[in-house]
Amino acid sequence: MTSIATATGVRVGVDIGGTFTDLVVARSDGRLLVSKVPSTPDDPGAAVVAGLADLLGRASIAPRDVIEVVHGTTIASNAILQKRGARTGLLTTRGFRDVLEIGRIRTPDLYDLAWDKPVPLVERRWRLEVDERIGADGAVVRPLDPATVVAAADRLVAEGVDVVAICFINSYLNPVHERRAQELLRARFPALEVTASCDVLPEIKEYERTSTTVVNAYLLPIMRRYLEALTAGLARIGIAAPLLVIASNGGVVSARAAARRPVFCVGSGPAAGVAGAARLGTVAGARDLIAFDMGGTTAKASLVERGRVSLTSEYEFREGMSTPSRFIKAGGYMLKVPAIDVAEVGAGAGSIAWIDAGGLLRVGPESAGAVPGPACYGQGGERPTVTDANVVLGFLNPSWLAGGELPLHAARAREAIRTHVAAPLGLSLLEAAHGIRQVANANMARAIRSVTIERGRDPRDYTLVAFGGSGPVHAVDVARVLEIRRALVPVLPGVFTAVGMLASDVEHHVVRAHASPLAALDAAAVGTLVAALLEEGRATLHAEGYDDAGIRLELQADLRYVGQGAELTIPFAGDRLDADGVETLRRAFREEYAATYGYATDEDLELVNVRLVATGRRPSRLDFRALDVTTTPAGPTHRPVAFDRGGGLVNTPVLGREAVGPAPRRGPLILESYDSTIVVPPGAAVATDPCGDLVLTLDA
Amino acid sequence: MGDPNLLMTPAAPLDPITLAVVKSALDAIVDEMAYTVIRTARSEIVKDVMDYSAALCDAGGRMVAQAKTIAQHLGAVPDAMATVLRLFHDDLHPGDALIMNDPYEGGMHLPDVFMFLPVFVETRLEGFAVVIAHQTDMGGRVAGSNASDSTEIYQEGLRIPVVKLYERGVPSRSVLRIIEKNVRVPDRVLGDLGAQYAACRVGEREYLKLLGRYGEATVRVYVDALLDYAERLTRNEIRTWPRGRYTFTDYLDSDGLSDDPVPLTVAITVHEDGHLTCDYTGSSLQVRAALNSTLSFTKSCTYLSVRSVLRQDAPNNAGVFRCIDVVAPEGTILNPRLPGACAARALTGYRLLDVMLGALAQIVPDRVPAAGEGGNTVLSIGGYRPDGRPFVIVDMICGAWGARPDKDGIEAITNPSQNMSNTPVEVLEAQHPIRIDEYALVPDSCGAGRWRGGLGLARQYTLLNAEASLQLRSDRMRFPPWGLAGGRPARPTRNVLNPAGEARAMPAKFFHLLRAGETIRHEQAGGGGFGDPLARDPGLVAADARNEKIALEYARREHGVVLDPVTLKVDADATRRLREVRS
Repeated sequence: MTSIATATGVRVGVDIGGTFTDLVVARSDGRLLVSKVPSTPDDPGAAVVAGLADLLGRASIAPRDVIEVVHGTTIASNAILQKRGARTGLLTTRGFRDVLEIGRIRTPDLYDLAWDKPVPLVERRWRLEVDERIGADGAVVRPLDPATVVAAADRLVAEGVDVVAICFINSYLNPVHERRAQELLRARFPALEVTASCDVLPEIKEYERTSTTVVNAYLLPIMRRYLEALTAGLARIGIAAPLLVIASNGGVVSARAAARRPVFCVGSGPAAGVAGAARLGTVAGARDLIAFDMGGTTAKASLVERGRVSLTSEYEFREGMSTPSRFIKAGGYMLKVPAIDVAEVGAGAGSIAWIDAGGLLRVGPESAGAVPGPACYGQGGERPTVTDANVVLGFLNPSWLAGGELPLHAARAREAIRTHVAAPLGLSLLEAAHGIRQVANANMARAIRSVTIERGRDPRDYTLVAFGGSGPVHAVDVARVLEIRRALVPVLPGVFTAVGMLASDVEHHVVRAHASPLAALDAAAVGTLVAALLEEGRATLHAEGYDDAGIRLELQADLRYVGQGAELTIPFAGDRLDADGVETLRRAFREEYAATYGYATDEDLELVNVRLVATGRRPSRLDFRALDVTTTPAGPTHRPVAFDRGGGLVNTPVLGREAVGPAPRRGPLILESYDSTIVVPPGAAVATDPCGDLVLTLDA
Repeated sequence: MGDPNLLMTPAAPLDPITLAVVKSALDAIVDEMAYTVIRTARSEIVKDVMDYSAALCDAGGRMVAQAKTIAQHLGAVPDAMATVLRLFHDDLHPGDALIMNDPYEGGMHLPDVFMFLPVFVETRLEGFAVVIAHQTDMGGRVAGSNASDSTEIYQEGLRIPVVKLYERGVPSRSVLRIIEKNVRVPDRVLGDLGAQYAACRVGEREYLKLLGRYGEATVRVYVDALLDYAERLTRNEIRTWPRGRYTFTDYLDSDGLSDDPVPLTVAITVHEDGHLTCDYTGSSLQVRAALNSTLSFTKSCTYLSVRSVLRQDAPNNAGVFRCIDVVAPEGTILNPRLPGACAARALTGYRLLDVMLGALAQIVPDRVPAAGEGGNTVLSIGGYRPDGRPFVIVDMICGAWGARPDKDGIEAITNPSQNMSNTPVEVLEAQHPIRIDEYALVPDSCGAGRWRGGLGLARQYTLLNAEASLQLRSDRMRFPPWGLAGGRPARPTRNVLNPAGEARAMPAKFFHLLRAGETIRHEQAGGGGFGDPLARDPGLVAADARNEKIALEYARREHGVVLDPVTLKVDADATRRLREVRS
């Protein structure tokens, strides 16, 4: 592990998406090599191994010079969506077999009597009860009866169950029965995989804990097999470097850790882009930013403050999330694990525009996907999409998609919009196309609102970092909806997620519950707890090869008014909480509360948890300043673009991205690059920053 | 396919794009308000069960958006707003916030406290942020202020007319002190009022931004257009329904004070111009117990019933209400006179949904499910701990949906009238001297059919305090949830005191003084079935049996399906023979 501190070799970032797998190779001189290959959904590692062998071969890089492979994977999320996880059993306290299926009762929408509740990942016949009970004070109310555990295990194994999850009532206070049950199962069936809630999530609320534990169990075999196969595949082509996985919180974890607790990696894909944006922002002098990632079917937004990503302690994983109404708890699989707080809306480049029965123009959440794709792809798609609107308006090259490999058919885009939007609404073609774009922009702005305004943050105080293939096409207009004045488009926005992985730190989050009114805080007890937390964080990172110089330890307190159910997480300095420290915390909480909710009172506060974020800074991680990318410059040309509704077509210069330097150039301009198109409308200017990113400045 | 004329008002052609953007902005604002309530509330009933709602109204009091919270609150806002405007139209100022809970001034029942925050641009009133929250306790004779056996509203707790809680930014100590002295758990109640205020402030802040961006005059025009849009969507769809008059009657078991069943009757008339008249004439007279539903609540439940069967996703605003006329004669259970008690009126609302769906099933049979569990069971347990500290548990149990025309019902699900959550067992136990022994599905409790209803839920509580008052309100013990199209009714509700000991069967509604170690078990009714039970796919019957959702005997009795007692596989021959005999 000493290689971490001294590494100078080649590093690889991989983003495995549904359609394409993006590969980025970073040489020690900062040069980036990029490749986009079709994904292999049945065996996601296959595309990685083949693509990497090809890319390294073309660049004459010896596989043994690769010092690490970092990757974001959708294997876990897809296994849940496609119900391809393990045959999983669940042991519960007697009387609570149905906690998993009952869930939190709500529906995601009102007035929908045709709704279907998600099918639980463990069928009722494999959810079995055992005799035991822990009380609300942590004391044993009824001892664990081993015979009931053994009987349940025998039945599950006889039914062919591969993995067993254990979640008992109040085990977050006292894990003794879960541990004993785990021992009994392992002793009787050594091959059986077992996951206990006290090891995954020792926190209050039985449904959330059960669901998280079950998802972990459900993913165990598939994640392990996948990581073993990928490691072996990489070894076959001569890469022996450690394989790292992006976790839902944006940090990287070893393949071994990911195989043991896969539930922490369900949000791996989206997290990587945000973490990369945070790192890029720090380097580029934009520490307060909104990461805005617009892909084919959805757009995602996430907040970064002072260079730190925003984390949520729970989220619900589901398909087709079309609203960022985060207070709705229904329709998905609850995961109570730290994850980057990403709001997602069903508005992407492929989202379909349609007119509802009341005559209102809608965009998404239905998407044309990669097949048939937008009408302009000429692959049989007939309904108009956001991409079609962008082609009609002149934002996108009417002849080929960025990268130049896919020819476009502008006439089909016009036809689709005319038939399905312009004619029914009595609008001109350009007006209709503008409408589609504007509705899509409003939907995407909603995702941004939910991570800023809902949290009491004013989006105007942030820089919009736009990536994903379509992010730079919409960045300025989305910024305008929210009066954001500055947008940043990184080098290689289309594969930025893969690039961003090389910029992640190793991050561990440790939580200790300590419930106490702040007024009656036992400073000595908190001191002991903090010391233990710091020691644990330090030891974990030491074991991974980081020395003290590369370690950052940050303490946070979860505080709330007495009786509330949600906390605000407030950072605190020092390793003690004396009277002054408590007063400082109290003040910081009230300020944050007033900023978020418009008022604050002097009522008592209570401490709920103490948290530690232990970060190991990878000295070898990507420094965006050193990026060097070769792309094919597009020739200077002009094309008519309709920037504003009613403004008509403006003959607009189209340049290669390289044509822009540190001196600002005012729009209107269209910049075409290897993997995206950057739209600079009138009233905006563009310049490069020292890292080579494009900085877009909007007039007030 | 859209009709361009739908978007154009005669006066001025509107920009369809701005309309879409304003709609999305209003939806986002009410969602932000709702989210704020959860983050700042103090009680389980608000932060866990989510019994609250958030809305925006325009300066005229018309509701322009409502968050995806409690459907039953939907239509009550207009009547409450009307009272605010009637009494305070010339006395509203920036920084004011008003509260009320009086069912006879547009409220619903005393625990539901409305808060209205007028939004001003300079001195011009531009609208209201509104948050309704079910408070844990509002005083009165029974903890939780939810008793179904009160006979006058004066027994039910503190009745607050529309008053200012904040006046020009200054909280009213007088009002706060009156509330503090009248409720059992003032910290929670005042804390939740704070959550309502926080959410109203967030709504105000965001609505002002919207007004600032588009201009007040423009927003007014588009708000009008959004109301029209919702009305058009609704009207266009109702126009496709077969015209006529459709009636249905269903019953509450009793009001708990007498044994008489309480009938609710509706006659829905579908008119040519796409509006409905829902006439409740013939429903029970006002009852002695607290089941009376004020007219505003009756309207609310009527609107949501209609909305539940509309295909179109109209915005949650007052435009929908314009298509629905409600007739409920004064002095009946659906439009009571003072001093009728109202605390348990939600139950009447649930049955109203069942009655409406029963009638709607004759109009749009492909869209209406069989009857569900019949509404939340409310269990209130309150008392004093050994150290004198009070505790009040208000727990709600729900529910099951009836079978749909093309699929099974759902188990463990909110009643469609609400969108409630449940309180986690571990949270209840951590906060109160109670132990939950079981929270589970009840096998065999579904109504059989080609599609079966959802199973009912059981929840069992043991008291860990010396004593406590227990008030339980349930229903569907005598009139089980009905099936449709040949589907069978579900198993009725059961209440059992001390199931492991005396196992005393308890009525649907009762009060009991619980002693330490006593146990109360509630088993809720399931959902009714849809279609002929003998036509159910035997494979689905076997799957339910394997999951122990139904017993072997149930499969045979209800579905004529014979399963191997060991493998639980379908015995195809025996099943065919049995079904032949039965049909």
